[in-house]
Amino acid sequence: MKPAPFEYAAPPTLDEALAILSENDPDEVKILAGGQSLMPLLNMRLARPELLLDLTRIDELGGISARNGGLSIGALATKRDVEDSALVRERNPLFMESTIMIGHPQIRNRGTVGGSMVQADPAAEYPAVAVALGAELVARGPGGERVIEADDFFITYLTTSLEPGEILTEVRIPDLAAGTGWSIQELARRHGDFAIVGAVAMLRLESGICVDLRVVIFGASDRARRHSEAEALLAGERPSAALFDAAGRAVGQSLEDPTDDVHASAEYRRDLARVLCVRTLTEAVERAEGSGG
Amino acid sequence: MAVDIPKSFEELPTSAPRHIGRGRRRIEDPALLTGRTQFIDDVELPRMLHCAILRSPFAHARITGIDTQEAEALPGVVAIVTGEDALRWSHPAQSSPEGWGTHCLATDAVRYVGEPVAAVAAISRYVAEDAMELITVEYDPLDVVADPAAAMKADSPLVHAGQGTNVMMDRVFTWGEVEQAFEKADCVVSEEFRWNRMGANPTETFGCICEWDPLDLSLTIRGSIQSPSMFGLGRAATFALPSNKVNIISQPHGGSFGGKGGTRGTDVTCLLSRKADGRPVKWIEDRVEYLTAGGSQAWDRYYSASIAVRNDGIVTGLRVALVDDLGATGEAYGAICAAKPLAAFTGPYTIPVAEYDLKLVATNKVPSGPYRGMGPPPHFFVLEQLMDLAARQLGIDPAEFRRKNFIPKDAFPYMIPSGNEYDSGDYEEVLNQALALADYPALRSAQAEARKEGRLVGIGVASAIEPGVFDWNAYAIVGMPGTGVPEGATVSIDIMGFITVRVGFSLEGQGQYTLVSQLVSDYFGTDPEMVRVVYLDTQSAPPSFGPGGSRLGVAITGAVLGACDRIRTKASQVVAGLMQTEPENIVLRDGQFGIPGVPEAQMSVAEVAGTMLARSDLLPPDVDPRPEATHVWTAAGRTPADEEGRAKSYLTAAQAVHVVQVEIDRETGFVEIQRYCLADDCGTRLNPATVEGQTDGSVAQGIGAALLEEYSFDSDGQPQTTTFMDYLMPTVYEVPTVEKVAVVTPSPFTPLGAKGCGEGAIHTTPAAVLCAINDALAPLGQMAREVPAAPKRLWDLIRLAEDTSAEGSRTG
Repeated sequence: MKPAPFEYAAPPTLDEALAILSENDPDEVKILAGGQSLMPLLNMRLARPELLLDLTRIDELGGISARNGGLSIGALATKRDVEDSALVRERNPLFMESTIMIGHPQIRNRGTVGGSMVQADPAAEYPAVAVALGAELVARGPGGERVIEADDFFITYLTTSLEPGEILTEVRIPDLAAGTGWSIQELARRHGDFAIVGAVAMLRLESGICVDLRVVIFGASDRARRHSEAEALLAGERPSAALFDAAGRAVGQSLEDPTDDVHASAEYRRDLARVLCVRTLTEAVERAEGSGG
Repeated sequence: MAVDIPKSFEELPTSAPRHIGRGRRRIEDPALLTGRTQFIDDVELPRMLHCAILRSPFAHARITGIDTQEAEALPGVVAIVTGEDALRWSHPAQSSPEGWGTHCLATDAVRYVGEPVAAVAAISRYVAEDAMELITVEYDPLDVVADPAAAMKADSPLVHAGQGTNVMMDRVFTWGEVEQAFEKADCVVSEEFRWNRMGANPTETFGCICEWDPLDLSLTIRGSIQSPSMFGLGRAATFALPSNKVNIISQPHGGSFGGKGGTRGTDVTCLLSRKADGRPVKWIEDRVEYLTAGGSQAWDRYYSASIAVRNDGIVTGLRVALVDDLGATGEAYGAICAAKPLAAFTGPYTIPVAEYDLKLVATNKVPSGPYRGMGPPPHFFVLEQLMDLAARQLGIDPAEFRRKNFIPKDAFPYMIPSGNEYDSGDYEEVLNQALALADYPALRSAQAEARKEGRLVGIGVASAIEPGVFDWNAYAIVGMPGTGVPEGATVSIDIMGFITVRVGFSLEGQGQYTLVSQLVSDYFGTDPEMVRVVYLDTQSAPPSFGPGGSRLGVAITGAVLGACDRIRTKASQVVAGLMQTEPENIVLRDGQFGIPGVPEAQMSVAEVAGTMLARSDLLPPDVDPRPEATHVWTAAGRTPADEEGRAKSYLTAAQAVHVVQVEIDRETGFVEIQRYCLADDCGTRLNPATVEGQTDGSVAQGIGAALLEEYSFDSDGQPQTTTFMDYLMPTVYEVPTVEKVAVVTPSPFTPLGAKGCGEGAIHTTPAAVLCAINDALAPLGQMAREVPAAPKRLWDLIRLAEDTSAEGSRTG
């Protein structure tokens, strides 16, 4: 478990990093942030870059700030930075909750927000929350800056729409609208493991009627996805256990090509997606009611 | 010279309060906690090389060619070995059932994924791994058999073509009139069970540094080695060396639990050192190697078992048929895991007759080896599920059902049908204590409430025996004859009265050095800080086996107290000479040698030792002037096995009752352990804090076995669980707080009355957790027969029940 030989560069600025990227064959470069996924892949020789481009000395990529009714999170901000941020706690409790669900403290100390987004693990919490919240991902490349909607960013297993030569610089997370009820739940074999299946639900209640619904399932297939059939079943309706069950069944039925592995069969994942859809909707409505919305 | 070893604390030559019997801070811990303990990977030797092992990607294939030229040309590579070198310089493993062992590097064919094919010694592990990628191996894939039922069929592919079969052993052992018992039974409960492969995962994997001396023709091996003397004898056999030409230095190691096998890797590393003209070569097994092909995997079993029961709830017979999948070779003593259940076959019960239908089978999987408990934990899982089934069928509470069948406390020593003798116990009291701790009636009424709401809450009450202080005769049925497992210690008092104890085992985590300091300080009335414990390698140490088979605490107590007694005898002769009296008039008490009741006729231990070492002119002429002695303790009264495998094997029988409450999430199959209570009796507790630590760790491993840990393979024999993302160890989040209570019934046969307790709770935990799960599932008419009870398996059972009931309501 020792990596194959590679060159190493750790530039202090984003411009220098982009220059190095443009001077090399992008297929032969791996970008290192927190290293929580990449280092094991290097050690197992499953990743064999010619050049390891370490971004961790680029100060401009860190930090968390408020921006236009949302949060601007530097790609290199660690999950620990998020966890410790009073701003995140105040503005986006869903994003905070999802952070604390990630792995263990040791992993959050090093793992970065940008790293999780770019890794695009289908069972990871951040991509799911990004899709649910409608986050924007900001990338810089040879052609300048590009803003990508979360739903367009995540393509499939470990694949994003970042172009070769681009570096993710920032994640923009909209604040939760007032009165939003939310829930994120996951089922993992052990605390801190990648989810077998996870779900995020968001909604508001207007005069007791469900609006602005988001139902996202992650861990169950190739990427975190919104389930518009389930959302449509509830939109404009008063919440009820029967509707949640119907939404859950819709999620179970519409789940495409569920993952089948040593921890869970495809059929089991499909049913867990149903269960978690019901549970997160139930909790989200409770929160929405609790907020007086 | 008769040696007198105290059988209780009160017989020690010191007055209370004593150090023994109390939870002492461990003398091992400061170095461990400050990172100063030297583990094998911390050791650097001059001119040392690093080994990387190239392993088979196929579960079964013929090797048609190996080309190492390109790898040899890589700068930094010093030596490469293949099966040719293994054939030239070594013999097949001796630790398999006879004839099934193979060389440490594949010579003709590979038989499991991860089998070593070649190895590189280079100036760094990095270069060695780079070189490994330059070796070309041509494989001709063969048919794979990864399932023991398939492997037993006549048309199965053969793991070893020369054997003509994959069945290593097929025998039925009958102890008493079993057939009659089942014919006469009012009720017979039969069931099939599956225990999936799991095993030891110590924090530290295996590692070694091997050094061949090309002039002396000898080997020096440093490593994280659990049983150094046996390991050394094994290497001498493998390399056809005289046993005095192999020296084993056991480094402190980060746990073992049986998983520090490492013999193949060591043998490969020895070959590399030899090929590199004697340069030392280090091999540190990485976690992927360990999980793929290490000494970690154990107990891949299919059971079919029955008990015969009378209507009054008395169990009158037990039948167990076991198909044990030992993988490709059964090396590293995997087979003895199938034999050890003989030491406690009928558990804590009076079941008078029993039968064991045992099949050991080879498949194209990594050989299965030892793991904490060494085989009985799955056996007790099976027995305890049968007990619950019978209790349910007869309408008897499971705790009361067990009480009816317990061996009564006045029946000890008690001979079980499979030939072992239990030393002592009070099983009913242990049950009472466990039930009281858990408030069992309250648990049952809360369960009744929960059931009304349709919740799947279950309570498990299980009991098992931990055989302690092993003897080889327990394993006679799988070809490990012989009796006697020695443990020695040399105790020396220096001229200042400080005491050094030399032993043959290194640190492994159980706190035995602390125990030694407690014993010696209580014997000579000194402070424990005055006692130093020193490890000696196999060419210097007194006879020693080391930790294993829940023996070392008892055995080292015997060795140390025996050595102390020998010093006492010598010193008494010296003091008698100085005081002009007879040695039998001299008494050691609270650190003073002298004539009782005569205050002026007293000498401190330090004074006596100083006199012996400095003034030999004053000593009686026939007295050895060194205040030093060695004693070797071996369990007495062990007997050779008879033709049915029966022997007095393990010296002690500890017993426990665990009470567990679980709730299964009806929608997801996830299990939550809501309460975990246990009572146990391992005789005198030499260091209660250590016993408690052993129990906590063993419960954790038992919960891993019950719910999480599983090595899985696909039908091509490809391992599916080669990292900790897929092989799931329990963490602090998955292991509940364990409430414990102790019962102490001393052993009449051991030093200070202590019983083996190192393996402990894992004997009972998987059984108890599964009893609780099955109690939760009982209203659904379902039963978990497979360990681990992973959520997907329980979800399947719950779905099955709901489908059946939906079916019933449609048709009914």
